[in-house]
Amino acid sequence: MNSSLYDPAFWSRFQFAFTIVYHYLFPQLTMGLAWFLVYWKWRALRTGDEKYNRAAQFWAKIFGLNFAVGVVTGIPMEFQFGTNWSEFSKYAGGVIGQTLAMEGMFAFFLESAFIGVLIWGEKRLGPRCHFLAAVAVALGSWISGYFILVTNAFMQHPVAYQIEANGLLGITSLSSYLLNSWAWIQFAHNQMAALVTGAFVVSSVGSFYALRRIHSTQARLYLRSGTFMGLVASLLVAFPTGDQQAKMVGRHQPVTLAAMEGKFVGGPLAGVAVIGQPNIPQRRLENPIEVPGALSFLAYGTFQSYVQGLDEFPEDQWPDNIELLYYSFHLMITLGSLFVLLMMVANFQRWRGRLESSTWLLWVLMLAFPFPYIANTLGWMTAELGRQPWLIYGLFHTRDGYSKVVSNGDTIFTLIGFIGLYFVLGLLFLYLTGREIAHGPDQDVVAHAGEEVVS
Amino acid sequence: MIAVWYAIVSFMLITYVALDGRNFGAGMLHWFIAKTPEERRQVIAAIGPLWSWHEVWLVGFGGTLLAVFPRLLASAFAGYYLALFLILWGLILRGVSLEIGGHLNDRLWQSFWDFVFVFSNFLLAILFGAAAGNVARGVPLDAQGNFSMAFFTNFRTSGYVGLLDWYTVSIAVFALVILVAHGATYLTLKTEGPVHDRSATWARYLWLAVAPLFVAISIETFVVRPDLPGHAIYNPFWYLGLGLVAASIITLISGFSAQRERRAFVGSNFMLAGLLLTGAAAIFPVMLHSTLAPENSITAYNAAASANSLLFACIWWPVGFALATFYFVFISRRYAGKVSVIRDNQGFY
Repeated sequence: MNSSLYDPAFWSRFQFAFTIVYHYLFPQLTMGLAWFLVYWKWRALRTGDEKYNRAAQFWAKIFGLNFAVGVVTGIPMEFQFGTNWSEFSKYAGGVIGQTLAMEGMFAFFLESAFIGVLIWGEKRLGPRCHFLAAVAVALGSWISGYFILVTNAFMQHPVAYQIEANGLLGITSLSSYLLNSWAWIQFAHNQMAALVTGAFVVSSVGSFYALRRIHSTQARLYLRSGTFMGLVASLLVAFPTGDQQAKMVGRHQPVTLAAMEGKFVGGPLAGVAVIGQPNIPQRRLENPIEVPGALSFLAYGTFQSYVQGLDEFPEDQWPDNIELLYYSFHLMITLGSLFVLLMMVANFQRWRGRLESSTWLLWVLMLAFPFPYIANTLGWMTAELGRQPWLIYGLFHTRDGYSKVVSNGDTIFTLIGFIGLYFVLGLLFLYLTGREIAHGPDQDVVAHAGEEVVS
Repeated sequence: MIAVWYAIVSFMLITYVALDGRNFGAGMLHWFIAKTPEERRQVIAAIGPLWSWHEVWLVGFGGTLLAVFPRLLASAFAGYYLALFLILWGLILRGVSLEIGGHLNDRLWQSFWDFVFVFSNFLLAILFGAAAGNVARGVPLDAQGNFSMAFFTNFRTSGYVGLLDWYTVSIAVFALVILVAHGATYLTLKTEGPVHDRSATWARYLWLAVAPLFVAISIETFVVRPDLPGHAIYNPFWYLGLGLVAASIITLISGFSAQRERRAFVGSNFMLAGLLLTGAAAIFPVMLHSTLAPENSITAYNAAASANSLLFACIWWPVGFALATFYFVFISRRYAGKVSVIRDNQGFY
């Protein structure tokens, strides 16, 4: 975004970035938490142990709040394709519209039909149907994620398209479009990251109760489920999914890889910078501490592999905010490594039976929950900043995609509106979620007292 | 093929209006027919668990429109810019007030969210009505098929028009009245006690008010778009729409006089569907009429995506629709009958 503040593309990008980053804070927990609900409902069915049901009931309330904010902040996203990116919609709508519509037909219909049942329907439906509702909602949220990632994968690595006589994009094969290799790898990576968020949130609440020495049975369950899933997911998010994702960027977007790593000059034995600040005008990384050969190995399999540098590409093909791209990627990797470390320690302590008495570890787990959100956001910033200056990689420039008829005044006005509205929404969400957590899972009677009053 | 997709997209929009329209209507009436906290909960419970299921039809409609008529979506969404964002914000406020209002058992908290709820439903009904008026009247499309429209210009219906003029405002008023009538009919079906009785009274008077308003907007439409009727009479679906309207009048009258609430509500849905079908058939194949020059208009034929896009959409759409029908049956069975504040309550009172 090196353009002037009079550039309409800047404001439309800013608006989209703000609304999508904010929106995605919610679906990542939905997708991560959904399988915890399924697991607990399943255990409750199998064992008849009341603690699993109680856990599912408690987390369903938080899930419901989170889901609602996800729905209301998600609907604007689809419309912003038309309002602020109408040239892009006109050009590529025949292709990307397929998956956006399929998301509605196959995912949203499923989720919205069963979310009410999941959250309020247990008494009417009985445990078995209620379990199926949890599965339906979990599936719906992951299907929704897949269709969105196919859409994004087309923008990163377009497949199955042709340019029609009228100059617009047409689709040539539905199956090739839906099975884009980029989509599969990115989906796997993204869903593992969502599970990391879910696992950290569950562990965090477990630690909170354990530290306060309340709800001890529930705390133990959350810690057990949370740290186990946390370890599995944070390992999988790095390897193989993250590794494959980086290799794929190297294969299809070599200039992006060079920018992510701050590689100004190409060569074999390319290193990974652990620390260093890119200085674009002088074309160098300041204060670099590098692991030699690591990038060659990670991206192409051998230490001798040649990694292209930014100098090998014309400057107009460089991502337009290399600094932010570089930091997003590096911070994501750093956080991801710390997640693995933390969860390894937590699981080791749990295996020794000492997790609940490790006060320091519980403190870290309790306070760690924001960081997966940050890492998820940084991952998406890496993907989307890395795609620049293209809206559809190699096909369509971002500067050609915004709505020509919409003035900056309109975009800034609606941006301000969204910032205000989402600020209030965030406060409400935090207040109500905090309230549910403070009530806790054992206070069912109090939380539902209104029913008795009404009847 | 293109005509089929025009029909499918219209069908999805009609379904959305019939489903979410009841929520707009019930939401607007909320203040006037529910006097005590328990009565308000009844109204909320009638809408509560289903609002997101209704709202996603709008998303399904938007997505399908992008897939099969990308040029229309691009032009209309950018052109209706501010109005569309008001709709989006209205939808956010509506959803939030429903979900959040019940979380605290506190009078001030609930009164506030009740107000937000009623306000956002009014806003949405008026905006959707004005949008329908804009489609009928047309927008200032230029030769490239783009337009940018102020909220209002000189309140006239030709040339460089604004979102609001005497015609679109009157369509908005009509939409408001008919949606409230629809919501009142729905509440009559779903509630018991005082809310039920008040809803029934409101529904009768409102449907009576719809009749003269309908005549008025028909005449107005003829004045604004004299070309439409001559065009509509060659479209068999226009007659189907009129037939639906006629049948729904009979169903409504018989439903209310025999106190068969389900029948009345079916009539209410068919009335909305019939009116929208009549409109969709009358303007076909034009989807967005240009007030500057008729040749600038966006039609189904010049807005459609490539043949492949339409063909592939023919593969997944029926599957998705079959699943949606299955969910619909499931939901209708599960939520059949009068609401019970104890069992169906939204949130955690």
